[in-house]
Amino acid sequence: MPVTLLPHRSRSRPLPGLFLILGLVALTFFTDRLTASEPAADPDAIGSGTLMLQGKGVATAMPAMRLGTDMDVTVTGQIARVRVTQAFRNTGTQWMEATYLYPLPEEGAVDSLKMVVGQRVIIGHIKRREEARHLYEKARDEGKKAGLVGSERPNLFRNSIANVGPNETVMISIEYQTPVRLLGGEFALRLPLVVGPRYVTASTPVADAQAITAPLAHPALKKKLNPVSITVHLAPGFVPANLISPYHRIAVEAEGDQARTIRLAEGEVPADRDFELRWRSASADPTVGLFRQQLDGDAYLMASITPPALERAPASPPREMVFVIDNSGSMGGSSMDAAKQSLLYALGTLRPQDRFNIIRFDDSMTRLFDDGVPATAEQIALAKRFTEGLEAGGGTEMLPALQSALMDHHPDDTGRVRQILFLTDGDISNEKDMMAAIAAKAGRSRIFMIGIGSTPNQYLMRRMAEAGRGSFANVGSGDEVAVKMTALLDRLAAPVVHDLRVSADRASLDLTPRQLPDLYAGEPLVLLGKGKALSGTLTVSGMIGDRPWTRKVDLSDATESPAVARLWASRRIADVEAARSAGETDDATADEAVAQLGLAYGIVTTQTSLVAIDETPARTDGATLTREELPLLLPAGWDFDVLFGGQAAGTARTGDMQPADQAEAMDLPQTATGYMALVVQGAVLLLAGLAGLALLCREQRKELRA
Amino acid sequence: MTALLFARSERRVFGRVLPTLVLSALCLMGGALILLGAVVPAKAVVAQILLNRAFDQSLAEHRPVKPWPWADTAPVARISVARLGVSEIVLSGGTGQAMAFGPTLLAGRPQIVLMAAHRDTHFAFLKDVQRGDLIEIQSVRGEIKRYRMTESQIVQWDRFAYPGNPARPLLGLSTCYPFGATAHGRLRYVAWAEEVSSPMETAPGRQYDW
Repeated sequence: MPVTLLPHRSRSRPLPGLFLILGLVALTFFTDRLTASEPAADPDAIGSGTLMLQGKGVATAMPAMRLGTDMDVTVTGQIARVRVTQAFRNTGTQWMEATYLYPLPEEGAVDSLKMVVGQRVIIGHIKRREEARHLYEKARDEGKKAGLVGSERPNLFRNSIANVGPNETVMISIEYQTPVRLLGGEFALRLPLVVGPRYVTASTPVADAQAITAPLAHPALKKKLNPVSITVHLAPGFVPANLISPYHRIAVEAEGDQARTIRLAEGEVPADRDFELRWRSASADPTVGLFRQQLDGDAYLMASITPPALERAPASPPREMVFVIDNSGSMGGSSMDAAKQSLLYALGTLRPQDRFNIIRFDDSMTRLFDDGVPATAEQIALAKRFTEGLEAGGGTEMLPALQSALMDHHPDDTGRVRQILFLTDGDISNEKDMMAAIAAKAGRSRIFMIGIGSTPNQYLMRRMAEAGRGSFANVGSGDEVAVKMTALLDRLAAPVVHDLRVSADRASLDLTPRQLPDLYAGEPLVLLGKGKALSGTLTVSGMIGDRPWTRKVDLSDATESPAVARLWASRRIADVEAARSAGETDDATADEAVAQLGLAYGIVTTQTSLVAIDETPARTDGATLTREELPLLLPAGWDFDVLFGGQAAGTARTGDMQPADQAEAMDLPQTATGYMALVVQGAVLLLAGLAGLALLCREQRKELRA
Repeated sequence: MTALLFARSERRVFGRVLPTLVLSALCLMGGALILLGAVVPAKAVVAQILLNRAFDQSLAEHRPVKPWPWADTAPVARISVARLGVSEIVLSGGTGQAMAFGPTLLAGRPQIVLMAAHRDTHFAFLKDVQRGDLIEIQSVRGEIKRYRMTESQIVQWDRFAYPGNPARPLLGLSTCYPFGATAHGRLRYVAWAEEVSSPMETAPGRQYDW
């Protein structure tokens, strides 16, 4: 019997094998359908269309909607709370909708929107971005007054306000908080007032490009447009000294011993450059700042811990420096001079044992040497001549320059530290690509950012430096070059503290940033934590040079501050974004995480917006609504002619708010049913099934005959 | 021995019933997929017949007529290309659902009209439309506008922009690209046509022979 059993088994074997093959055929068809969502051809090769956006043009006439901004800043300890009140006054005879693009500090977290209409105050609510936009548009179309605050980038916001009647004024008041930066014992509060025109690369979706650009005011309109007044109530918790505002004249008033009130000396200034206020402590530099907040059963902590300065700077190891300098059109004017001077200064500090290279870029790029060369007198002289010859013009294609700088010919050379020094205003639209390139290819290279000009993109500076484990600084004008560059070049000689570790002995804390940085001289470690309770001690340890260093702080010493929870949320969002650019999470997960944080803490993020709607109908059905995008001033020091070249003259003559051929972006819908694929797959499956059944029948008949 | 016999018959059962089941399931799935696929063009054709009737009725009665009682979309225009013998009813709203029945209107302003439809149903004819072809749009109020195709572009779905205020009224027809592909992709094909106003320009046989 077993003898007959075997042939039977062997005869029925081809059948499972057949199924396997058929199954595979079917599977390949299905997986083919799933993976083939992207066409194989490079879409860029086909060209991105003939109707690409050419910016939003130049406004030569005053807009019908006038804007005045007042900023009221309260600094408590190391946290600033800022209330920005924007008054929209309709000077025209039409009902108006206005939209205005404005910058915020890159770590700011907007949490409050109030719309003031006559005697009424309407409070804004946080909603998901699409929902908020939908509510706003619905209210707008129904003739109700509505305000919307959305974030296009972490440091780029857009206010929209609908249905402002003729000769009416509506105020939009937003509030945000931001940490004050501490560097080398000096505190700095930086409030950007204008968005520099961003260069839009071909890879930027048109809708996104539209969102982050605004029409530019012709220089002739200057001063009259978008005036800003600023008041800072400074209560740092110690006696402040050495108050400096490098870009604006200020008037300081003492309010008792430890508090000051700072106003602009001129009252109102045009919004064309960043406002910066710096101060020190009159006594010893503070080394620890601890702030806490209790919110909804959770405890939040902000700790700023400064490691001790080295008594004697150690001899820094030989370096390989790569200087990357931006000579695009946006740098035209005093920015280019500042960048060139900064680079010349840095070249002068190279030692014979160092190696270096220079990369310059606009929409093209040049690598001065193929590989780093020794810093001999001749090579430095050549590099200086190259630098002096640079002229601003063209677009800002930063990604190829960054990738070229990250190209490391000796990745295993441990005797030399490799440092990349970036000099740019950062006015680009593809920030995410930069972070992704750094996350993927940084290797041993460290990235240092020098923000050039009156309003550099601070978000880019901070995040690129963070991703590249370096540091960042700003050089506003030529006068600042020597002092800022000396400080930065000293700092970047070597990180003072590395291998940082943080532990809390009694409380379990969810700390951010998750990846602790290396600290450069004078930089504090700023930690934000969330836990159930704050007690016990927080221990920070690391290595200073080759010696271990430990610092313990008692968490019960923390001072109360109502801003800590939201700063934690905003810092956590930066972690999510870093994970996204490093490819650790996909877009959908990251977007959802950001949206959840935004909704839970009531802050405006790229996924959440604040919307306020006045239910009282204002505009009657018959009246039409005119939409206006408010023009922005050109940042101070920018050269209008370099930026626009000949085309500005042409647009200026028309004297038109809306350039005649302004492009409008639209996402095209999915327009393929793919039914043929379904039919073909179905036919294949059917045929496979029928073929199998036929085989089976034959097998059966054979067996019966046997 | 009996145990062995029993085991053998059991094996036979498994050796036959299971494959028969699996293969039948395969056949059923295949049939279902074919049906699912075939429903799409069938729906597209049937809907157009009903829409045509509703459109003619709307024109005659000067009031909007629903193509079928539960329809949530209304016919807004008729697009025709005489050279290709194409005539289709355009629906309001650019949702995917309406697009199963006909081309949908994405933007409709005096200066710019944008429509989209599936490349394998209603806008399959776009691959045959050539420069110079006349495209006629009849609105539901009866006005007829004639456009002449001037250019085409291939663009990624999120990198498209159109002139907000063109010098001459423009018509843009968008569909997925490449035409033969079966998978969904990022590329879109947009055919652009400019309005022709004077009878000279539209006179058949004058510039183009059809």
